[in-house]
Amino acid sequence: MNIRCFQRNFSAAFPPLVPLQLPSPMETHLWYILPDEVKNSALLNQYSELLSPCERESVSRMRGDQLKKRALLARALVRTTIARYQTNCQMNPRSLRFRKNLYGKPEVEWRNEDNFNPPPLHFNISHTSAMIACGVTVNVPIGIDIEEKQRRTKNNIIAFAQRYFSPYEVKVLTAISDPEVQRQEFIKLWTLKEAYVKALGKGFSAVPFKTFTIRFRDTTMRNFHPPESSVSEESDIVVESSEDPTDPANNWRCALLEVAGSHYGAICMEKDRIAGENAPPKLTVWKTVPFVEDVCVSGTDAVLVLGGIIEQ
Amino acid sequence: MASSAGISLKLSPLSTSFKQNQVPGICNVNSVRFPSLGMQPGSMRLRVSCAAKPETLEKVCGIVRKQLALPEDSSVNGESKFAALGADSLDTVEIVMGLEEEFGISVEEDSAQHIATVQDAADLIEKLVEQKSA
Repeated sequence: MNIRCFQRNFSAAFPPLVPLQLPSPMETHLWYILPDEVKNSALLNQYSELLSPCERESVSRMRGDQLKKRALLARALVRTTIARYQTNCQMNPRSLRFRKNLYGKPEVEWRNEDNFNPPPLHFNISHTSAMIACGVTVNVPIGIDIEEKQRRTKNNIIAFAQRYFSPYEVKVLTAISDPEVQRQEFIKLWTLKEAYVKALGKGFSAVPFKTFTIRFRDTTMRNFHPPESSVSEESDIVVESSEDPTDPANNWRCALLEVAGSHYGAICMEKDRIAGENAPPKLTVWKTVPFVEDVCVSGTDAVLVLGGIIEQ
Repeated sequence: MASSAGISLKLSPLSTSFKQNQVPGICNVNSVRFPSLGMQPGSMRLRVSCAAKPETLEKVCGIVRKQLALPEDSSVNGESKFAALGADSLDTVEIVMGLEEEFGISVEEDSAQHIATVQDAADLIEKLVEQKSA
């Protein structure tokens, strides 16, 4: 019995997920859940049924209901997101298997069976207490990181940056006199650096934060809210490796977003040489409550491009 | 706190006896081998050979509690996993920075990556403090 592909009968309780085409090369799909909008305990139980026993156990080990719910929704989001993409047939989110690569980055473990070509799908997740996000690409690795706009650090920002960021980044932050703006730019930088490291997938020790610099191509970092068009032309985001300054790590594209008015989100993906470097990468964003509602929010106020050349 | 007390009870006789024998650098037993010694440190688990003092563990718990804004009555002990307490990567890095300041040590990214529990952090601190004073 082919248990991986169920047509519609894996569970009478679940409406089928609306199937989707895989993103095209140089396109990112971003899915996010707002945990506060998911309160129905019957729905949460249904999500729980999607998880592997191991995942359920991990969820139960989280301290307190909020963390348990967050962990549950994160797994449910990953499973349902990947299961949406049409490959040979409708996939059962429950039967997906995951593993970690050599460095601990989660990936799908596609089972090697006849007539099944694993889709060249990459994903990465990130969560805060108020949002869980999952980014999806094809062919190339992706890293995402989200952070609440209001996030405060316990440590002094410049002290933190001096300890962990590159000298150039410290300079940029130090030059910002308004403490609130400085804090915001710090958080944006943090998410971008995290997204890059997660995209590389080799663990944090392989690419310590100090060894690379995130640079906005126009030399000052600033908010850039594009007017009518959603292509931000001015501020490209570049990653420079201190180990090899001659090669500006041009293999990686970064974009910075404001999501749902409450979060900064950074996306980093490898450039797809075959797809061509000139086409601006595309982004499509959905707010979802799996099995209940998917809303495409690209091009609305829910998704503002703050940096990086990306088109909604 | 029962489980962490259990760990300390098991370990302190070992560390006491090492001290009595005046074996130098014994807390570095993870990285240095003494095959000629009767006790074979290499065969022990890393954590056993570098038991954090209870005061160290307590300080770490305090720093973690503060960073994660956990209520006073929430139970944080050696076995607590950072992830299970709700620490994200920014929290973890801030905790490491707080530990560096508190103990006057420097934690490499390599070591920081493998810290999963509060006990791991305390043990690492103990090791780094020892290395510093050695």
